[in-house]
Amino acid sequence: MKWFLFYPELFYFAGGMVFLGLSMLKHSNPRRDYFAAMFLAALGLLVCLINVNQEGFLFLKAYRVDLFSQVFKVMLSLGLFLVICICSELKAIAERHHPEFYLLLFVCTLAMMMLVSGAHILTIYVALELSSYSLYVLVALRRDERLGLEAGLKYFLVGIFVSAVMLLGVALLYSATQATYLADMIRVLPGALDSPLVVIGLLLTLCGFFFKLAVFPFHFWAPDVYQGAANQATAYIATASKVAAIAILTRMVAVTGDGSIYLAHVLVILSIISMTVGNLAAIVQKDLKRLLAYSAVAHAGYVLIGILSMNQLGYSSVIFYAMALLVMKFTAFLVVVKVADDGNNLQMSQLAGLHRRSPLLAMALMVSVFSLAGIPPTIGFTGKFLVFAAAMEKGYFTLVLIAMINVVISLYYYLLILKAAYMQEPAETQAPLHVSPPVKILAGLLVCVMVVAGIFPRYLIELASAAAAVFN
Amino acid sequence: MEYTNFPYLSAILLSCIVGLLVILFIPEERQTQIKWVSAVFSGITLILSIYLFLAYDKTQGGLQFVEKVPWVESLGITYFNAADGFNLPMLLLTGIVFFTGVLTMWELENRVKEFYAFYFLMVAAVFGLFMSMDLFFIFIWYDVSLFPMYLLIVVWGTTRKEYGAMKLTLYLLAGSALVLPAIIYLFVGSGLNTFDITLLMRSGTFTPYQQKFAFILFYIGFGILAGVWPFHTWSPVGHVAAPHGVSMVHAGVLMKIGGFAILRVGIFLCPEGWQHWAQLMAVLATIGIVYGAFVGLSQKDLKYVIGYSSVSHMGIVGLGLSTVSVDGLNGAVFQMFAHGVMTALFFSAVGYIYDRTHTKVISELGGLSRIMPVASTYFIVAALASMGIPGLASFWGELMVFIAAFKTYPVRGALAVCALVVSALFMLRVVQGTFYGPKNNKYVHLTDVTFGLGIPRMILLATLLLFGLFPALIFDMIETASIPFFNGLP
Repeated sequence: MKWFLFYPELFYFAGGMVFLGLSMLKHSNPRRDYFAAMFLAALGLLVCLINVNQEGFLFLKAYRVDLFSQVFKVMLSLGLFLVICICSELKAIAERHHPEFYLLLFVCTLAMMMLVSGAHILTIYVALELSSYSLYVLVALRRDERLGLEAGLKYFLVGIFVSAVMLLGVALLYSATQATYLADMIRVLPGALDSPLVVIGLLLTLCGFFFKLAVFPFHFWAPDVYQGAANQATAYIATASKVAAIAILTRMVAVTGDGSIYLAHVLVILSIISMTVGNLAAIVQKDLKRLLAYSAVAHAGYVLIGILSMNQLGYSSVIFYAMALLVMKFTAFLVVVKVADDGNNLQMSQLAGLHRRSPLLAMALMVSVFSLAGIPPTIGFTGKFLVFAAAMEKGYFTLVLIAMINVVISLYYYLLILKAAYMQEPAETQAPLHVSPPVKILAGLLVCVMVVAGIFPRYLIELASAAAAVFN
Repeated sequence: MEYTNFPYLSAILLSCIVGLLVILFIPEERQTQIKWVSAVFSGITLILSIYLFLAYDKTQGGLQFVEKVPWVESLGITYFNAADGFNLPMLLLTGIVFFTGVLTMWELENRVKEFYAFYFLMVAAVFGLFMSMDLFFIFIWYDVSLFPMYLLIVVWGTTRKEYGAMKLTLYLLAGSALVLPAIIYLFVGSGLNTFDITLLMRSGTFTPYQQKFAFILFYIGFGILAGVWPFHTWSPVGHVAAPHGVSMVHAGVLMKIGGFAILRVGIFLCPEGWQHWAQLMAVLATIGIVYGAFVGLSQKDLKYVIGYSSVSHMGIVGLGLSTVSVDGLNGAVFQMFAHGVMTALFFSAVGYIYDRTHTKVISELGGLSRIMPVASTYFIVAALASMGIPGLASFWGELMVFIAAFKTYPVRGALAVCALVVSALFMLRVVQGTFYGPKNNKYVHLTDVTFGLGIPRMILLATLLLFGLFPALIFDMIETASIPFFNGLP
């Protein structure tokens, strides 16, 4: 047993236990909880970074540690760290619930790390459920119970339905191939993909991950949950949770090898509908978090383009895209959290005059919005470019064209955000936003990362291709 | 290819970017300081572009001032800048319009810092596009040059600015939605794993089918920016909505990006596609020339008149490109240069008048030549250039294009020349309505252009005259690129 392979997971488990202990203390102390979480998350990021080059198998080969999983673990721990950075004023969660809030974040991160390393279908299922259940509670924790409970319940109902469907798919897949290890499936599946039973089993299994990624038709929870959850919790769902979903979806699709034309066709259709539905629905949104939810549906569509290409460039482009999504989505939520400093939801109209109230946040919003829209020279553009290049290599010209048209549609609502922040003036003059120096540095850093990684994407691309090489 | 020690081309880009950063770190209140910094850095780009124009060795030709740095090796992306006979006039044009645009906006008082920051970003991208020889970078610069437009128009613009800004941005990015798939299509199709245009343009890289397919995407995609009929409707609306300095860059330089990119990307990489679609290009260009002239005839707003005359003039560029001849190419590039300077002068002149009278409606003005004779002169000279009067630069561009067009497409050429008469008519109508006739007493107290504010207009006017009298300065330059290019065609 090589325990050092399991250090990141053990660390996050221990972190969760710390908060379990803190939650039992009589006196609540938000500052203490916040700094403890910050310290542990930073340490966790460090642990993941140290572990990035490890490789090996654990637990009867049900658990695989490779560059792919380790890169995603770094992204997940980074996501957790960033989200905790914006938790200094956690007004949407009752103070006595703060330790539980951090506990759930740590456990959820642990579960997602197990998800990206899972090499056995049941490990994957259990990890998926653990992460989902943490999120259900996280969403329902909001102080405003009407919003939080409704969102949590919706999330939960859709979630358990999908997980039942997924279990059915796993059963079908097992009955057809007698394989539960992904390594065995790789041997059996490519030859068996003509059989309807296998294709249906595989698709039903993928449904669980589509749900996580908010791909059509499993996206209905997204707007309500984004709106109902506390802003920080939404930020976590939009960043870390999506990254984990991308990882596991990639791993599962890679299992099928290269031969599945049916699977590719289904994914093409899902991708087109996701992009189009997400972008069209986002146009009419007034609540910024709902808008970002629909934009997440659209981004799920772009991610699918990379995955369905099923080639080396496709997988590496998806890994790159996951990094891009993490940074740009988080930046948008940083602005949401800081502008809505009372912990309520943020309407588009509340962005008015942002360029005067805090030029830095306005600039961060601008860069993240352009990055989400895929305008160069930002990391979002490079991600889209790689994804499209991968699809073109497989000859999906029409798909790329449709995706580009979707990019233009999406630009409309992204520009509306910018217009609100840069042009519209609030009805009554508002005081400048109080942004603490660490947050200023963070926002500045994020802007730099998005732009610099857009201009010099070389090392990230090389890292992504190295991580994708495990599928060879 | 010749490598030089000092990277002049990158220095142009750098002076834009350093200027941008310096502006970002000056406090908002120090407006004069921001304007001086902008003037200095844009002046540096102008000097560098003039230097390049003069230092280019015409006897040797080919690509000079080459800078090549591998960027993303796994994808074959190279930071590859070079100057040749096609892009040097464009760089010079950008330098002139940039510098004069900064000076034209000297009287701006609202959010000065942000304005110049976005302005520098946009122009940096324009420079980058003109000098780049790498397909990937061309696309990046293309998109970067577009998105500051939205904020520049929506914050500092005038008439129907929200509508105009959104329409312009969506139209132009729809163009890039066609261009990006075409670029990736060629990249994947070539199998060379490179975005280097000099490598991709070797004959035999692409099959005729690939060339035809990609060319039409490039033509429509870049053509939207070049104001090709029927994709031009964003252009008059956008010009009217934009602040003057932005209109100058936009009509003067940005629309040229469209024409130039059709040449650099479409025609260079897909010559067979070009020959295949030339007939269609000629038809659309002729319609654009005629349509722009007639619609311009009925406009009531000064900026709309200029906007539609731009559509008409960019049609001439398109017609030149469609002739598939050396004269046509020379004429098209010359026309791009001349039209850029001319429209910049137009918008600069209108800008002065609008800032004083707060109206652009022709019927509300009148008799201005007696109130502000100097300001009127600038506009009238631009109008004369627009009519193609000999002695001003645009005459030569139009002449070359029409000679080439008559040879290839007699009927379409004749139609286009007739349209010139119409466009002369509408320009004269505007000049008469705005500057002659009864004086409007509301504006009697207004002052004329001072010497300082007149500098940008004088520079533009001098450029029009210089290249009108000595067209060989540019024609010799273009021929160093167009003749070898033609000889290399299959």
